[in-house]
Amino acid sequence: MRMRREQSAGRGRSSSRVHYGMSEIIITIVLVVLAVITIFPLVVPLLFAFKTQLEFAYHPWAIPEALRWNNFAEAWKAVRIDQGLLNTLIVCFGSILCTIPSAVLAGYVFARYRSRVTEILFYAILIGYFVPVQMVLVPLYRMEVSLKMNDTLYGLFLPMAAFGIPFWTLIYRSFFKSLPRELAEAASIDGAGHTKTFFRVMLPLAQPATVLAVLQVFMGAWNDYLLSLILLSDQNKFTMQLRVASFLNSYGTDRMPRYAAAVIISALPTLILYLVGHRWIIKGMLSGAIKE
Amino acid sequence: MEIVEGKTSFAGKKKHKKQDRNRSVFIFFCILPAILFLVIFLYYPIEETFRLSLTKTTGLSKEVFVGTDNYQRLFHDEEFFAGLKHVFSWAFWSIVIQLPLSFFIAFSLTYYSNRFTRPLQAVFFLPNVLPSAITAMLGKFVFAPNYGLIVSLGKVLGWKWLASIDFLGNPNLAFWAIFAIATWAYSGFYVIYLMSRIEQIPRELREAAELDGASMWSYARHIVLPELNYPLRILAVLCTVGSLKLFDLPNMMTTGGPGNATVTLGITLYRHGFINWNYGKAAAIGVVIFVLSLVFTILQFSLGRKKDEAI
Repeated sequence: MRMRREQSAGRGRSSSRVHYGMSEIIITIVLVVLAVITIFPLVVPLLFAFKTQLEFAYHPWAIPEALRWNNFAEAWKAVRIDQGLLNTLIVCFGSILCTIPSAVLAGYVFARYRSRVTEILFYAILIGYFVPVQMVLVPLYRMEVSLKMNDTLYGLFLPMAAFGIPFWTLIYRSFFKSLPRELAEAASIDGAGHTKTFFRVMLPLAQPATVLAVLQVFMGAWNDYLLSLILLSDQNKFTMQLRVASFLNSYGTDRMPRYAAAVIISALPTLILYLVGHRWIIKGMLSGAIKE
Repeated sequence: MEIVEGKTSFAGKKKHKKQDRNRSVFIFFCILPAILFLVIFLYYPIEETFRLSLTKTTGLSKEVFVGTDNYQRLFHDEEFFAGLKHVFSWAFWSIVIQLPLSFFIAFSLTYYSNRFTRPLQAVFFLPNVLPSAITAMLGKFVFAPNYGLIVSLGKVLGWKWLASIDFLGNPNLAFWAIFAIATWAYSGFYVIYLMSRIEQIPRELREAAELDGASMWSYARHIVLPELNYPLRILAVLCTVGSLKLFDLPNMMTTGGPGNATVTLGITLYRHGFINWNYGKAAAIGVVIFVLSLVFTILQFSLGRKKDEAI
C-alpha cells in the first residue's frame, strides 16, 4: 500500500516523493507526541509513588532512591480497592444476568412475532431509551428505601438492568430481523415449537450480538458512579468507584506520594482488563457506538 | 412466523386454537421480564418524577401539591442557571475542541496506516475505559496545588507563575481543568468511531484523488470530511446530550465549586435532592434534563438514521 502511494506520488518530480515521506514522518511524530501526552499522567504516578514526602518535595522528577512500598501499604488501607472490586464484580454479573436474557427474549419476539400488540409494547419499551438516569433518581431512591432495597447490591443492578434493556432489545430486534426467515421455517417444519426454535436455532445464532452485549453491559456496570452514589451508603457495599471517590473526599493531594500510590492501585484493575481485552473492548464500543 | 399461521389455517379448528394459544403464551413469557423491569424501575419512577415535581416534598414532611411552583422557582435559582450555562458551554467547547482534535488524530492514523497505527489507536482509546472515579483521581493528580503534576513541572522548569496556580480552586480555571481532563478521557472514543467510519470510505475514492494529484489536505477536506458529515453530526449530538448529563467528573473533582463555578444540571439535581432533601425541586430539574435530552435525541434520529447505524 505504501509502495503504491510512493509510485504514484513519485511520478514526474522526484522531490514530491521526498515531500510525501516527510509529511508522513512529521504527522507520525505529532501523533507519537500526542500519545505520549495521553500516557503521561498514567506513568508519572510510578515516579512519585516510591518516594518519601521529603524526597518528593525536593526531587519530584528524580528516579526514586529506593523502592519503598509503604506508600502502597497506606494507600491500600485507605482505598481498600479489593473490597470495592468484589462488589463491582457482583454488580457487573448481576447486571449481565438481568439485562441480556430479558433483552434477547423481547428482541426476538419483536422481530419475529409482529402484531399490533407487540408493536405497541415495543414502542413502550423504546421509551426507556430516551430517559436519562438523572430524571428518575429521586423516586428510585425513595422506592428502594421503602422496599428496603437500598444498600444492597441487587438494589443497584436491578435498576441498572432496567436502564440497559431498551437499548439491547433494540439491538437484538434488528439482529433477529437480519437473520433469514428460512431458518425458522425449516425448524418449524421439523416440528419444533416456539420455545425449541428459539433455544435450539435462534439463540445460538445470536452469539455475536450476545458477546458484544455481555462486554458492553459489563463495562457499563463497571463504570457506573451516579446510581451507586445514590443507592449505596454502607461502606461495606461500596463499589470500586465509590471507594475511590470516598478516598478523594477524605485524603488530600498534599501527601502526593501516597496519593500517587492510590492512583496506581485504583487504576490497575481496569488497565489489566484493557491490556488483556483491548481489541474486544474497542470492537464492542464501536458496535454499541450510538448508545449514550 | 407467517409459516406457522399458514400451516394452521389448513389444520382443524381445534388445533388452530391450541397453536394460537401456544403462540400467545410464548410471546407473553418472552416479553414479561423486560416489561416487569421497566414498569418497576422506569415507568413508575418516571410517573413519580412528574408527580413529585408538582409537589413540595422533603424527606420528612408531607407532600403538598404546589402546581408549577417548583418550576417557577427554578427561574430564580442562580445555581440552576449556572448549571444550565455550564452545560451548554461544555457542549459548545466539546464540539469546537474535542471533535476537530479527534478528527485530526483519526484521519492521520488512517491516512498513514503503518506499524504505529494500531498501537497508537489503543493508546488514544485507553483513557476512555477508565471509570470516571479514576479519571477524576488523575485529574486531581494533574491539577492539584503545591504537589500536582503541572505544578511540579513548573517547579522543575523554574516557572514560578505555573508552579503557583491552583487550577481547581480558581473559579476561572476550574471549569477548564475539568474540561481538559474530560478531553483527555473522552476523545479516544471519537477517534475510534471516526476511524471506523473513515475506513469504510471506498479505496477507489482515495486512489482517484491521488491520481489527480490531490494532497493529503485536499483529500481530507474534499473527500473525507463530506463522507463523515453524518457521523460528525451524530457525535455533535452525543456531545450535547452527554453534557446535559454531565455529573461524575465535576462532582468528584470540585463538587461543583468553587462557589458555582463548575455546577452542572446533574449536580444541581444532586444538591437539591440528596443534600438539601428538597425532592420536589430535584424532580423538576429531572424533568428539565429529560425534556432537553429528548429534544436533542429526536434531533439525532431526525438526522436520518442509516440502516446500519444501530449495530
